[in-house]
Amino acid sequence: MLKLIAFRIAQAIPVMLVVAVLTFLLMHLLPGDPATIIAGDQADQASIDQIRRDLGLDRPVPVQLWHWIVNLAQGDFGRSLMLNQAVADAVKERLPVTLSLAMLAFAITLPFGIAFGVIAAVWRDTWVDSAVMILALVGVSVPNFWIAILSVILFSVTLGWLPSAGYVPLHDSFSGWLASLIQPAVVLALFQIGYLARMTRSAMLDVLDQDYIRTARAKGVAVNTIIVKHAFRNTLMQVVTVAGYILSLLIGGSVVIEQIFALPGIGRLLVQAIMARDYPVVQGTMLLLGFAFVFINILIDLIYAYVDPRVRYD
Amino acid sequence: MTDATTLPAAAMPPRSARRRILMRRLWRHRSFRVGAGIVAVIVLMAVAAPLLSGGQPNAMSLRNRFAPPSADFIFGADNFGRDIFTRVLYGARISLWIGFASAMLAAAGGALVGMASAWFRKLDGIIMRIMDALLAFPAILLAIGINAALGPQVSSVIIALASAYVPRMARIVRAAALVVRELDYVDAARVSGAGAGRIIFRHILPNVMAPLLVSVTFVFAYAILAEAALSFLGIGPPPPHPSWGNIIAEGRDYSVEAWWIMLFPGLAISLAALGMNLLGDGLRDVLDPRLKIEA
Amino acid sequence: MKHFTPGRTAALLLSAALLTTAPLAPAFAQDPKMGGTILYANNSGPGQLDPQMAASLVELEVIAHVFEPLISMDANYDAKPMLAESYEISDDGKTFTFPLRKGVKFHDGQEMTSADVKATFERYAEVSPGKATLADVKEYRTPDDYTFVIELNNLNAVFIDQLKTPVYPFSIMPASQRNKPAREIDVVGTGPFKLGEWVKDSHLVIEKNPDYTPRDDADGPDGYVGKKEVYVDAVRYNFLPEANARVAAMQTGEADITTALPLDLAKRLEGNDKVTPVTVFPYCQQYLIVHSSQAPTDNRQVRQAIREAVNVEDLILASGEAARENFSMVYPGGAFFVGDDNAGWYNQNDPAKAAETLKAAGYNGEEIVLQSNTNYSYMRDSILVLAEQLKAAGMNVKVDITDWTTNASNMQSGDGGWNVSTTSFCSNPILGPQQWQTMIYNFPHVENNKVLDDAYAKFYASLDLSDRVAAWKDIEAEVLDGAYMIKVSDRGSNRAIANDLKGFREFNINLFWGMWLDR
Repeated sequence: MLKLIAFRIAQAIPVMLVVAVLTFLLMHLLPGDPATIIAGDQADQASIDQIRRDLGLDRPVPVQLWHWIVNLAQGDFGRSLMLNQAVADAVKERLPVTLSLAMLAFAITLPFGIAFGVIAAVWRDTWVDSAVMILALVGVSVPNFWIAILSVILFSVTLGWLPSAGYVPLHDSFSGWLASLIQPAVVLALFQIGYLARMTRSAMLDVLDQDYIRTARAKGVAVNTIIVKHAFRNTLMQVVTVAGYILSLLIGGSVVIEQIFALPGIGRLLVQAIMARDYPVVQGTMLLLGFAFVFINILIDLIYAYVDPRVRYD
Repeated sequence: MTDATTLPAAAMPPRSARRRILMRRLWRHRSFRVGAGIVAVIVLMAVAAPLLSGGQPNAMSLRNRFAPPSADFIFGADNFGRDIFTRVLYGARISLWIGFASAMLAAAGGALVGMASAWFRKLDGIIMRIMDALLAFPAILLAIGINAALGPQVSSVIIALASAYVPRMARIVRAAALVVRELDYVDAARVSGAGAGRIIFRHILPNVMAPLLVSVTFVFAYAILAEAALSFLGIGPPPPHPSWGNIIAEGRDYSVEAWWIMLFPGLAISLAALGMNLLGDGLRDVLDPRLKIEA
Repeated sequence: MKHFTPGRTAALLLSAALLTTAPLAPAFAQDPKMGGTILYANNSGPGQLDPQMAASLVELEVIAHVFEPLISMDANYDAKPMLAESYEISDDGKTFTFPLRKGVKFHDGQEMTSADVKATFERYAEVSPGKATLADVKEYRTPDDYTFVIELNNLNAVFIDQLKTPVYPFSIMPASQRNKPAREIDVVGTGPFKLGEWVKDSHLVIEKNPDYTPRDDADGPDGYVGKKEVYVDAVRYNFLPEANARVAAMQTGEADITTALPLDLAKRLEGNDKVTPVTVFPYCQQYLIVHSSQAPTDNRQVRQAIREAVNVEDLILASGEAARENFSMVYPGGAFFVGDDNAGWYNQNDPAKAAETLKAAGYNGEEIVLQSNTNYSYMRDSILVLAEQLKAAGMNVKVDITDWTTNASNMQSGDGGWNVSTTSFCSNPILGPQQWQTMIYNFPHVENNKVLDDAYAKFYASLDLSDRVAAWKDIEAEVLDGAYMIKVSDRGSNRAIANDLKGFREFNINLFWGMWLDR
């Protein structure tokens, strides 16, 4: 088992490197000079050139790439051009925000998504099924930033129930943390709830349509027992397989949500870094996110193996 | 598409008849019907935009700044006095084009990679590892990165979104192609000395079309949403392109006073995505009921 | 709101001005309450706080509270001593003597002496983009702990005015920072606030400096100088990039003061009995920048045709800014404002004449590229309207909207194939001709302009103010007539203040000394 994990990580590294190099090259292809932004618009060309020299941006791109990789090999992700701090620190500072948001949204997604799917499957082809599935469809069809803006107008401005923006760290106050995240998390979860409900329903129906269930039903086993024992278990298995995908959707979606709710997370870091041509931050963030997802996927495979004894890794 | 002599002489109805049956089954499917209807209306509006509105999408009239919905401005006017109705109509052209083109491009790329991976078994490991690694990135982040690097153009958005979805498509195509690969007639073709290219395009491609088509509709829906998100972040198609995402992004500062600016394009996006998703549901149920992929 | 014309804009600004004076004027009669934290919803946060590297408003707003220079600006933007007790200029205009205030302590407890001042200037000359100011320094002298002397090689009639600059300010830092690389200093100043918690992209707190001794030569705060007394415990800057979120924060009481509101959004707060919207002038001036080394705008007549086609009123309207019309590159009432002689090139709004000028220029449908960015909506919106105006005059216009970094780099370098772009200058119009020089040459990429060169040479060599004003008049006329830059407007800054936040003074940045919470 351990060997397998090590093997998968080892496999991921070269690919990650390719991605990193590609990101590096793509970023440096962009027009726009970070030194201009750092110097400010009152600066003359000489000062801008000096800043470029100080930051090593005057060197040829392949040389910069080489330095970056050498440093990376020593575990140094470089220094942000704009934030004046190490990339690793910048990411570390913002990770809790994005993770809080994603995890809360995940925690909202799971029960609602599964419940809706199960309800629709149990009452299949009735009005309940139609109603739930139309809701789920709306969930995967409505742009989340649009809902976010409408939601702020309703819940923050008009009703005054929730803060409109900002983040309260968990260690400052739990209620503050929850209040600052609940609105963005629900908005962010809508798409995933719809997705999961649709998936759960079809997974449930798969099982319910299988011969052995029909046989059991013919033998007079109560429908509820069947649902709980067979279909639901099977469905949970499926949910585990898409958990990684849902998480990656959540992290991706948080880019826009963090912007609207002014949450200082990874997504905002990345977008701002791209805008400001903060090369080390963009490269480092992409790389770290990539690694994070490789780990998440490995973790999910392990969970899967644990809940489904038929799956064996040798 | 396929020439009859290479088909196994199985008891299959002629192709045209099968297509007719398929169409009838599709048409009986409620989701498909509703979805196709919605999409058809939107496409029609995009095509007939000049007929439905006399104005130009970028024509300004500052006197009519923030005119609310009325007979003159059905959907109201924005901060330049541009007619939102006209902009939403012409925006359909851009947003649908971005959705369509990126879905098609992703399908083409995914089909090539997936089939190559299924056929050339030696390449399979490497290709799928790369695809897995790319899959590890949230698609929208990939799109943001690629799009940022290519610069603000409609074509960059298309390329960025397409690249973000190639890995997903490739996986689906590979799975379908691996099944086809083992079929007898493919073996027969190989034995009779047909080249890899010929077998892939003649025999495997037609058989992976069903899952490919289904995922194209879902990617189409997602690309429309993703375009809007990119525009919102300021890295979508450059203004003054009236893409739906841009109209919302430009109207977001006035969301209370001039709610109509962001309401109507938002509804348009939702409707278009809803239509494509319904269409996809129908296609999946009829063409490939085992397929598990969704939006 | 829907059909507002420039006339109504003016009325609106007037009413905003009336509203602000009403609740704020009696504030001075009350006794300030002590304590509390002011919540400030700002549009973005600083990336760094090294004064010598700071040019952006969000950096400077924090730096102004934490650091102080020798010479700074009063409420009228005139030079006044801050950490210097006073200053003395020798008759030949080359030697400047600054007696320092005694007992001024840095936030780390050390007393400020002339050694710290000298170290600050030495570091400035090495790292700051503003170091050209010090290029002519012959030597620094520190005759004793409380005297600092700068000697120049040549006469510089405006040296003191250069030292008061709020951009790349000459803030005094401890000598221990002398060799710190650019942007990597410890944030230790002498100001009435010191830096507290700072979480990038989220918030930044400045706390009252209990050991601060205000100057006693004024009754109250006076711009960056005067008697700077702090009544609150702290100010918390919350960074909210969406203007909607900043307005919502004011409405819900999550913020006591905010800034950078689009005019149409600020109006949402009218009629709210807890919040007062304010528009502050002077703030910045918006210009169209015309690239004079890039075809076809390297042709003076083509540039002039663009100027003739511009309708300023529509540009202002579309920009969503609270803006005043003003032809000049300085503000009315200032020393360098030269009256209506230079007004003829402003807001010509004459597409027919522009078409004639184009013909005379031999313009033949060459593409004119208008570049702007998505980050600043007023720039983007002005350029979109300008495109329509230029098309109406018969120009072949291409709009190219990129992001701010690309746009700004292109303006600086002249690359990127642009002909017209737009931006605002905030400190230059206040600080006058010497501060304008870099920008006048730089952004329009002026090459070989003898009129400008001669006028500037005359400017620096004139000890007499009236000669300098005459020189500036020629400079301004050449810039506007040659359409290197086309003046759009004087932009105001739309802010909103909670009614129980007292002591607010209209200034180009928000300063929190002298303010208190009445709750």
